[in-house]
Amino acid sequence: MNRLMTSLRDGIGFDTLLIFAALAYLMAFAGLPLIYNIIISFQQVDMFSLGSLFHQAVGFENYAAVFHDPLAWRVLVNTVVFTLASVFFQFTIGFAFALFFNQKFPGATWFRGLFLAGWVMPGLVVGVLWNWLLSGDFGVINYVLLSLGLISEPIFWRSDVDYSLIAVILANIWYGMPFNMILLAVGLAAIPDDLYEAAELDGANAVQRFFTITLPMMRATIGAVLALGIIFTLQQFDLFAAITSGGPAGSSTVAQYWSWQLSFREFDFGRGAVISVIMIIVVLGVSAIYVRSTRAETRL
Amino acid sequence: MNDRARNIALFAVALVLAGIYLFPLYWMYVTSLKTNSSIFAVPPEFLPGTPQWQTYALIWDEANIPRYIFNSLFIATGVTLVTAVVGSGAAYVLARYRNLWIDVALFVILMLQVLPPSLMVTPIFVAFSSVGLLDYPRIATILAISAKTMPFFVILCRAAFMTIPRELEEAALVDGNSRAGALFMVVLPLARNGILVAAILIFMQGFGEYVYSTSLIADNRLQPASIGMTNFLQPNVVTWNAIMAFAATYVTPILALFVLLQRNIVSGLTSGALK
Amino acid sequence: MTGTPQIEFSDVDKHYGSFHALKSIDLTIPKGQFVALVGPSGCGKSTLLRSIAGLEKISSGTIRIAGQTVNDIPPRKRDLAMVFQSYALYPHMNVRDNLTYALRLKGIAKDERAKAADDVAKIIGLEGLLDRKPKELSGGQRQRVAMGRAIIRQPKAFLFDEPLSNLDASLRVRMRKEIRALHDRIGSTSVYVTHDQIEAMTMADHVVVMQAGVIEQQGPPLELYERPVNRFVAGFIGSPAMNFVDATVTDDGTKVVLELQSKPTIAIAGQLEPGRKVTAGLRPEHIETGDPSAQDMAPIMIGAAEATGATTYLFSDDDPELIIVTDGANLIKQGETVGFSIAPERVHLFDPGSGRALTQSGG
Repeated sequence: MNRLMTSLRDGIGFDTLLIFAALAYLMAFAGLPLIYNIIISFQQVDMFSLGSLFHQAVGFENYAAVFHDPLAWRVLVNTVVFTLASVFFQFTIGFAFALFFNQKFPGATWFRGLFLAGWVMPGLVVGVLWNWLLSGDFGVINYVLLSLGLISEPIFWRSDVDYSLIAVILANIWYGMPFNMILLAVGLAAIPDDLYEAAELDGANAVQRFFTITLPMMRATIGAVLALGIIFTLQQFDLFAAITSGGPAGSSTVAQYWSWQLSFREFDFGRGAVISVIMIIVVLGVSAIYVRSTRAETRL
Repeated sequence: MNDRARNIALFAVALVLAGIYLFPLYWMYVTSLKTNSSIFAVPPEFLPGTPQWQTYALIWDEANIPRYIFNSLFIATGVTLVTAVVGSGAAYVLARYRNLWIDVALFVILMLQVLPPSLMVTPIFVAFSSVGLLDYPRIATILAISAKTMPFFVILCRAAFMTIPRELEEAALVDGNSRAGALFMVVLPLARNGILVAAILIFMQGFGEYVYSTSLIADNRLQPASIGMTNFLQPNVVTWNAIMAFAATYVTPILALFVLLQRNIVSGLTSGALK
Repeated sequence: MTGTPQIEFSDVDKHYGSFHALKSIDLTIPKGQFVALVGPSGCGKSTLLRSIAGLEKISSGTIRIAGQTVNDIPPRKRDLAMVFQSYALYPHMNVRDNLTYALRLKGIAKDERAKAADDVAKIIGLEGLLDRKPKELSGGQRQRVAMGRAIIRQPKAFLFDEPLSNLDASLRVRMRKEIRALHDRIGSTSVYVTHDQIEAMTMADHVVVMQAGVIEQQGPPLELYERPVNRFVAGFIGSPAMNFVDATVTDDGTKVVLELQSKPTIAIAGQLEPGRKVTAGLRPEHIETGDPSAQDMAPIMIGAAEATGATTYLFSDDDPELIIVTDGANLIKQGETVGFSIAPERVHLFDPGSGRALTQSGG
């Protein structure tokens, strides 16, 4: 007992206590739910059986039900499209902005920081703003597109099955772009100026400098930003809730939204858990690749 | 082109880009100040007419804004406290040592950071309801959100702790401090800024959180402002000026905090995010 | 060494994983002595110092401070003061609070602390700076605060971890003297880690030379200079470093032939087995130059000469070259052949295999 107190006061016991407090917390509220998630994906869990910790086992019934659901294929395609389109545009636009603000002019950093105003907003509020901007009859975006002659009649973004997913993607690009831009800007700033000067003396023009200096030097950063983009996009929920609620007819439903809908709209927690289990495996897979690769780069 | 002309041109482009990007925020404020009919004007009125401030006064009571904001503050404060108290110590230990076990702990924490809340909420809801935690829905929500925010907080704070030379702590030990004494009297005061920025980011996340709140809090009187907004957002809604006033009331404090601390937030974020 | 032991190591080992940082260290530091730990980086000298402070836990063996075994005693209860290489001044406290931090932790009243700070400030010449923050001080002033923080207590020993390495050369020379003067005035026990053998030689009563976790030799500075026990110590102590030349003992055992181009023969003190291969150690400052044709002078060709004014460094045209330090008035040029000689008792001889100094029989 005395030794323990001494260790807590002056030795390694102090560090152990601190790290285990956090790990115990995370174990209780993230680790155990992860395992419990797998268990209930094999059980029948509805409003009536909620009260008990263990429920009737149903084997792979929930999995079968999810895979045979007519919505399943649509959700899979939507999830892939939503993720790739969001990440692609967040990244390219973010990179373009980062390059622009990397030029030295008065106020450049200040302007760049201003863009994070979008990123600090609650996702739900961003969704509500875009809901209004994309309104069919009175939305500003339709008005601008009509005035520019890009469309001939208003698009009903939220209620047209062909456009509902695009509506959420547009909002998500706006929401996630600044974070991409800031991380890429940090990577750009880390490239020493004299590399560019040397390349210029060697006769490289601006385009050649971008492809021979900027891109190779940014490889680690670009990898990290793309991985983080995928991870964050797979977490996006609020925009769906605020813009389309996954509709109409599931046309804008993605996996992370479907899982929630099954649990909290249809109260079929077993099936909600099935999608949750599958998607968590995907997310953890992507993150593991990302963490491993950054570790190799930076010897974390 | 000389430097001055170039700078002016770049500045002008930056102004236009920022203007386009921030237009949704502008549109929120402008819409909130319009009359019920002018929000549907075609073409849209890009400049506000006479500001209709009474919309704000109206929804303040009608939409129960004080109650919603109080609940949001309650949840955000709880999340920040739990995250900071439990997470700071872990961040400190992870910054201080370098070995296989620390790497494993760091890996676990990074992995937990990426779990989507909308996927984690199913098992958490089922588990919480069976152990009776849902009888205290706001506490349950705070506990669930904190598990999500803690990894991010730990990563950011670890970067802050790593900037503090280990010799300072050793000097404190030789001078007569216990480990806890050295942590509280020397290390924490020096890491204060980094911890503060991380805590503010966590507070903002807690203040705007939606998934856990909407899934775990059934009682309308305990729900935060994010749910208050969706309650407004029924199909075929027409009162966009009222909704935008609600949104503006909700996010203006966050935006003000952001403008005030822009520099610190950007640098705090970039120091942790890529490492 | 005499006097009551203040710090004792017996058979101390320290492992970091598979790395063996300290190898069965035995060391006794008497009360009141100034001991320098010196060696190349990574030799274990800092680990040794930090294990006195309790900042490193030793793997086995015993450390005693003032007779008490301290293996399991935390730093705060060891009553030692330490001056760090980076000074480790608390950036969020002003100079006064930095100086009196340890007293505050001991629960000493505020006005008493303030008086102590004033007294120390006078001793180390920091009056008027007590309200400044460390970042508002120059490097030399910060160093003084670090010193003041140590002497404000009456600790069982002072520990210095390369305290002068961040100062510029002239300030370093001055602080060397001041630290030694403070030590004498307070009459404390000091352990001083440095990689600079000149610092160790000029400041310490007793020098401990370490390499790869082992104490190679310890003793008074001049003893290390005059009677190094092995080739490592011989090469480490002294500047410029000792010349090492392969040599063979002559038939009568009283001379050696150096493996230089001119194959010079020099006399040694004592007698060695004829024909034996040895390594001869010649300190550059012990080599005399003169007329190559004179008796007792061996000829040598000069490959390069560097005149610094006070002294001139001569480099022989050999590989490896022989360095000779001569008077600055000696105008010897590149390409000249000069004669050189060295007193037999100043020739060091080492076993080429083990590097150990050879005890010469007879003479």
